[in-house]
Amino acid sequence: MTGTRWKKLGRDLWTERWRVVLMVAAIAVSLVGVGAVLGGYSILTREVPRNYLGTHPASAALELESGVEPALVEEVRRRPGIADAQAGEIVLARAKVGEDWIAMLLFVIDDFDGMRLNTFGHQSGAWPPPQGTMLIERSAERMLEATEGGTVVVKTPHGRAREVKVTGVVHDPGLAPAWQEREGYGYLTRATLAELGESTQLGELRISVRESPFDAKSIEATVAELAKWLGERGHRVLQARVPPPGRHPHQTQMMGVLFLMLSFSAMALVLSAILVATSIAAILARQVRELGVMKTIGARSGQIAGLYAVLIAVVGAVAVAVALPVGIAGARGLSTMVAGMLNLELGSQTIPWWVFAVQAAAGLLVPLAVAVIPIARGSRITVREAIDQHGAVPPGRPRPWSLGLSRFASRGVVLAFRNALRRRARFVLTLSLLAAGGAMFMSALNVSQGWERIVSRVYENRSYDVEIRLDAPASVAERLRQLEGVRTVEAWGYHRTALWQADRVDVVRTYPDGSHGSFALMGPPPATELVRFPLLAGRWLRAGDTDGVVLNHMVLAQAPDTSVGDWITLSFEGRPTRWRVVGIVEEVGSPAVAYVTDDAYARVTGGSGRVRMLRLATSAGSQEARAAVIHAIEGALEQEGVSVEAVIPLAMLRTAMGDHVAVLVRMLLAMAALMVVVGMLGLGSTMGTSVLERTREIGVMKTIGATPGRIARLVVGEALVIGVSSWVVATALAVPLTALVGKTVGMLSFRVRLPMVMDPAAVASWLALVVVVAVVATLLPARRASRLTVWETLGQV
Amino acid sequence: MSRTGQSVHLIELRTVTKIYPGAGRGFTALDHIDLALPAGELTAIVGKSGSGKSTLVNLIAGIDRPSQGEVLVGGTPVHALDESRLAAWRGRNVGVVFQFFQLLPTLTVAENVTLPMDFCDTYPPAEARARSLSLLERVGIADQADKLPSALSGGQQQRAAIARALANDPPVLVADEPTGNLDSRTADSVLDLLGELTRAGKTVVVVTHERDWAQRFDRVVALADGRVEVRP
Repeated sequence: MTGTRWKKLGRDLWTERWRVVLMVAAIAVSLVGVGAVLGGYSILTREVPRNYLGTHPASAALELESGVEPALVEEVRRRPGIADAQAGEIVLARAKVGEDWIAMLLFVIDDFDGMRLNTFGHQSGAWPPPQGTMLIERSAERMLEATEGGTVVVKTPHGRAREVKVTGVVHDPGLAPAWQEREGYGYLTRATLAELGESTQLGELRISVRESPFDAKSIEATVAELAKWLGERGHRVLQARVPPPGRHPHQTQMMGVLFLMLSFSAMALVLSAILVATSIAAILARQVRELGVMKTIGARSGQIAGLYAVLIAVVGAVAVAVALPVGIAGARGLSTMVAGMLNLELGSQTIPWWVFAVQAAAGLLVPLAVAVIPIARGSRITVREAIDQHGAVPPGRPRPWSLGLSRFASRGVVLAFRNALRRRARFVLTLSLLAAGGAMFMSALNVSQGWERIVSRVYENRSYDVEIRLDAPASVAERLRQLEGVRTVEAWGYHRTALWQADRVDVVRTYPDGSHGSFALMGPPPATELVRFPLLAGRWLRAGDTDGVVLNHMVLAQAPDTSVGDWITLSFEGRPTRWRVVGIVEEVGSPAVAYVTDDAYARVTGGSGRVRMLRLATSAGSQEARAAVIHAIEGALEQEGVSVEAVIPLAMLRTAMGDHVAVLVRMLLAMAALMVVVGMLGLGSTMGTSVLERTREIGVMKTIGATPGRIARLVVGEALVIGVSSWVVATALAVPLTALVGKTVGMLSFRVRLPMVMDPAAVASWLALVVVVAVVATLLPARRASRLTVWETLGQV
Repeated sequence: MSRTGQSVHLIELRTVTKIYPGAGRGFTALDHIDLALPAGELTAIVGKSGSGKSTLVNLIAGIDRPSQGEVLVGGTPVHALDESRLAAWRGRNVGVVFQFFQLLPTLTVAENVTLPMDFCDTYPPAEARARSLSLLERVGIADQADKLPSALSGGQQQRAAIARALANDPPVLVADEPTGNLDSRTADSVLDLLGELTRAGKTVVVVTHERDWAQRFDRVVALADGRVEVRP
């Protein structure tokens, strides 16, 4: 490229350097977003399965009433369709942290060196843990406030509280991080479990299937056959847990959010490309005479188009060069953050070549594609159009609306509107750029507000302060009612359940932690004061509902076609129980639950006279007072010698939900920031260009007596018209966009649409940003232009 | 298209009308013009403002198209060429000189002269530089070759513009009021230069207001209200 035209191109780039810098910045910022998200996505789609599948996750875990003996495991391994089998046990215990008790899952391992399924990695300390000690999962250190060498007070359902030494740390990528689930994870031998007061029997038979290991239906079929075979040999299967095959518990949500971020980044790229197109259109407008001259001396349209296409390519190439390393850093940062959220170890943060190829192609081609129209228009201009000065231009007609506007608006406002609309194509482009950027900015903030609101529903729909899972005589409720500070105590029936499948074992889609994907049957008093879930259909329970059931929305994930009036069969300890659906409620922050009246529950369970779950409300007015009452409750239960499985303060549920979405909210806010940068660069560039183009006009205004203040008011007014118009459009666009994004992320995280929130702060802050940037971007060049002499301004092309 | 001694009309306009769109029937800039200009002459197009002078040279240079009629330059039907062919044809066959010089401000004087060679691929870059210096020498401003146009006087800029018009050695030069923005002494020297080019074989058509200089032209075409008034 030694030709003179390329020298011209180089000098044009230098002359327009600030505009070029803006274009490069806008594209680079978007490309960094694309690169970071796409790179992170590529790393995670490789590393998440590598981590999770590296644990050799069991295809299914069958809970056997009789326990699992080694001989049985050997026999199962030889069964057709079974790739491997192993016995295991998980005990839901509690750990004392400070003055509070939190849930703790104890994974009982028969042979630490012979683990075949649901394996985990050794990080530090002992292996296996000596008798009387345990290993803890690395993400549980924070929850348990303990580390290697420390101790944790552990209480199992049938044992007494006992101090257990932590002799090592493991990494278990098959589990959601402990801090997110608000529970502890411990790993111990059977002998240690015995010391904690529990039976040493291993009740769980874990299997992996040989055929189609990632097909849930195929796995369920194999499980059904195996359960039948086990039943014939006198081993009754109480329940089978089949987690979503090959998928980490939070993988779907995380990938969904990354996909959403990718969409936002791609939109930002399109917006920055529009910014490039408007900038190129402005450069072409400023060089219209030069275009005419070049054509006069023999330049063909294709040659001129080629010049400006190369200009854009140079801008894109510089942006790509800037964005690639930053994108790599972003991708690594993002994947590290997500890996932390999923408790994964990133074996490699290598980004595949195609990510760079996509980034480079996007940086080079998207701006070029969007700029095709202004380039084609500019390069096809005829010489006469470019240089002719005969002045015979078709007369313009005032727009009817502008005549109407002049009846009630001041001359300044009318002028500002007319000026803004003078270059309608550019006005539409600028408006689109800002409106799209604003809509995405507002949507990101709206959705994060929607998320906050849905998390706050934990309190809105639940009036109890603590839930206690236990196995105690019914009289315990009365005992707790006497305690000071306890306002209400309700005894609820509670039992795990599953959708009944005739001649098949109960199957739930639960992960080893027993919480993700679980399904429970609960029997509250019909007139309960402690929950009030929003009805999606039908009604809540009534006293006379002997066979009525209310399902929460999470059940619909397992039985999607269920509606009010349908009959549904639930398994209760392997027995079918038929229920008529009388209502469906939205219950955010809970696994699947089927609610029946306490009377109906007692009928099904045979009225054992024992309580499995208590929900209590306190009269405490502060968090500290509430915690004190909960401690008193726990003390009373201990005095009564009651076996407590879990004590779950409502605040803990709220925190767990908040922790689940915190990173996602931060990601959305990062996207909002990206939109601010791209949108504001676009507005600044367009406004600056608009004033520069009118330098000559400003000179004319000065010759007829306009003061600099008057000129400034006029151009700022025009900027405000564009800015405020875009804000109105952005606000209107944000409504459907918020609904769409809210639905997507809500379904991914809680299986509900997020509430539609139009955050006034988001709407107001975008307006403020638009106004400030419009005024600043306009005033600076206007001030410069108004300082030029009339002769200088009129000398401008 | 060199001078052969025969009466060859290098430029021919046949019943050319040009109407610019506008209110009512539009503005008729040229009205049924018939004109034939022989090769190797220095022709002046004169007339009052709005008489159609610029439109006429624009049609000859292929900058504009007639509403009716035919424009033939060196036998090429200019009116029938599409924009792309027109640009390529113009680059090699017509040099255009504007009243306001229209040099590209970011290129040096020499680069302005080499630009047409670059667009038309007539000379390789190394040769183009030498040729541009030679042309600048010919118009008397070789010492200004590496300056930006803004550093030159009006007369020097117009000479640079003439050098640029000669870059691809076109047989025809059209100049639209090339002296309109110059003082009389400088204007005089520019006209001398155009005269020299004619003597060197170029066919030069100049739009001018100055009737006093009629004796310096081989031919004067006077226009009034879009029609040819005098045809000597």
